[in-house]
Amino acid sequence: MPLWRRRLGALVRNRTALAGAVIMAVVLAGITLGAELMPYSAVDMDFANILSPPSWAHPLGTDSFGRDVLTRVLYGGRISLLISFAGVLIAAAAGTLTGMASAYHGGLTDAALMRFSDLLFAFPSFVLALFLMVVLGFGVQNVILAIALVYFPIFARLARNTTLLIKEEPFVQAARLMGQGALRILFREILPNIAAPLVVQASVGVAFGIVIEAGLSFLGLGVQPPIPSLGVIMADGREYFQRGPWVLTLTGLVISIALLGLNLLGDGLRDLTDPRLRRQAEL
Amino acid sequence: MSRAAAISWRFLGIALTVLVGAFAVFMVMKAAPGDPALVVLGEQAPPEAVAAFHQRYHLDAPVLEQFWLWFVAALGGDFGRSLTIAGGTSISGLIAARLPNTIFIGLYALILGVIVSLAMGTIAALRRGRVADTVATSIAVLGISMPDFWLSYVLVFAFALGVGWFPSYGFVSPGQSLSGALYSGFLPAVAISAPMAAVFARTLRAALLELAHREFVTVARSFGFAEVFIFLHFVFRNALIPYVTVIGLQVRYLLGGVVVIERIFGIAGVGSLMVDAAFGRDYPVVEACAITFLVIVLGVNFLVDLACTFLDPRRAN
Repeated sequence: MPLWRRRLGALVRNRTALAGAVIMAVVLAGITLGAELMPYSAVDMDFANILSPPSWAHPLGTDSFGRDVLTRVLYGGRISLLISFAGVLIAAAAGTLTGMASAYHGGLTDAALMRFSDLLFAFPSFVLALFLMVVLGFGVQNVILAIALVYFPIFARLARNTTLLIKEEPFVQAARLMGQGALRILFREILPNIAAPLVVQASVGVAFGIVIEAGLSFLGLGVQPPIPSLGVIMADGREYFQRGPWVLTLTGLVISIALLGLNLLGDGLRDLTDPRLRRQAEL
Repeated sequence: MSRAAAISWRFLGIALTVLVGAFAVFMVMKAAPGDPALVVLGEQAPPEAVAAFHQRYHLDAPVLEQFWLWFVAALGGDFGRSLTIAGGTSISGLIAARLPNTIFIGLYALILGVIVSLAMGTIAALRRGRVADTVATSIAVLGISMPDFWLSYVLVFAFALGVGWFPSYGFVSPGQSLSGALYSGFLPAVAISAPMAAVFARTLRAALLELAHREFVTVARSFGFAEVFIFLHFVFRNALIPYVTVIGLQVRYLLGGVVVIERIFGIAGVGSLMVDAAFGRDYPVVEACAITFLVIVLGVNFLVDLACTFLDPRRAN
């Protein structure tokens, strides 16, 4: 049986991972295909239907401009997920490279990187993001950068610690004795062996990135209207929370379901991949 | 190394981190677009007024000198004056007035989180694989998946607007009335503590389950010790080490939650001050708040380290 089919089989047998994968599949289908199939527009106003509660025609109700909340949530989910994904991707790429290089090289580089990540770890993550938004200005791009900066030290540290564990393994030593270059060893020998915990971290990271985006935009310090990110929709719903509580509460419920999917997927993948390596690396 | 020497080393490290952190915050803030003088005086301010403003706040001095002047003053408890949101007021005064509220809400949430997670984690581990375990672990995953600011609105919807047990907005400072603070701070504290309690409970459950199969537990059992004694003395006590460590790691998320929740419930704390300052482009206030949070996190981590050396004396060496 090919490797990928065995892995897929393991994924299906792990109920946690399967539940997470199913939820995420539904969420992804919703924000891609579902958003396009919705009969309403995410931005056009409909003054005949202002603040109507959830019904068959509008499962999540309508907002103060008569816009269908479900349509907006699907489009907003697309935006928020892309923002979070982009931020985590930047953090994962930069963090993994720095962490691996730092562990492999050792010495002063390594010490400097660790002190830098210690410093970033000493700020509350949301305070760091907030601070960055003040310096860079509000907007989509800077939310991505803020998420990347919050996640960079986490990936750098994880990549460093796993690389340290693996670089003394015989197969890495053998590659070195065969005269392979440092880059080749890092990418061909080390990276495939530390990828699993990084992927698990990334799936949890995307979940938390969505929370950061939603939190910043909710306060008005992140994505700015009229772009309908999930945080913007909730901030909007806060304005008329007493008259139309469904806008805020049901949008948040959709976010929670998506986060639940990502967290279950992360938990399941963690069990499937080597838990020993991960636990050692986290210390 | 003696214990006192180890603690002094830790202290030196913390002082150094505060210095480097303050330097980083100051320098990054300098790179922010926009001249504070124009923020305060307006975009159309005459050049003489801008120059006078720069001179008054030492903005025309070299950057390193500016940093040093600012840092030395800050060490003495003087963060300068607010530019826009409370024009001219002493920032230290603003923070001193709000810090007790932030610490109160943070501690309140932490204590709630610890109580709930100790119960949930222990029950889940003792009833592994049974219904209670499934329920507790499911609640924990749900707890992690709920954004705290959303949860606070759900709580307001249900318990303030719905049944009317708690106020939906406003906070009584603990200085005025402790019972009033406990009452009005309950919903915010629950919202902040829910995701944390979930993480704590998961850590405790995993640690308890792992320790239950260690050799020293089997040995203790073969000595005929009572199960309750074995659990408390050998399993639970050792499980507290990773548990306390995770509390230390989660403090940064707790304070992040405090920032948003303070704003939602109208709690006059350092977090809501920072958000106001972010809106008003009040750079020195943002800096002072960021550094206040830095010092809190470092202080808590120091206490957590002390607690860990107490629980695990091997670490002292």
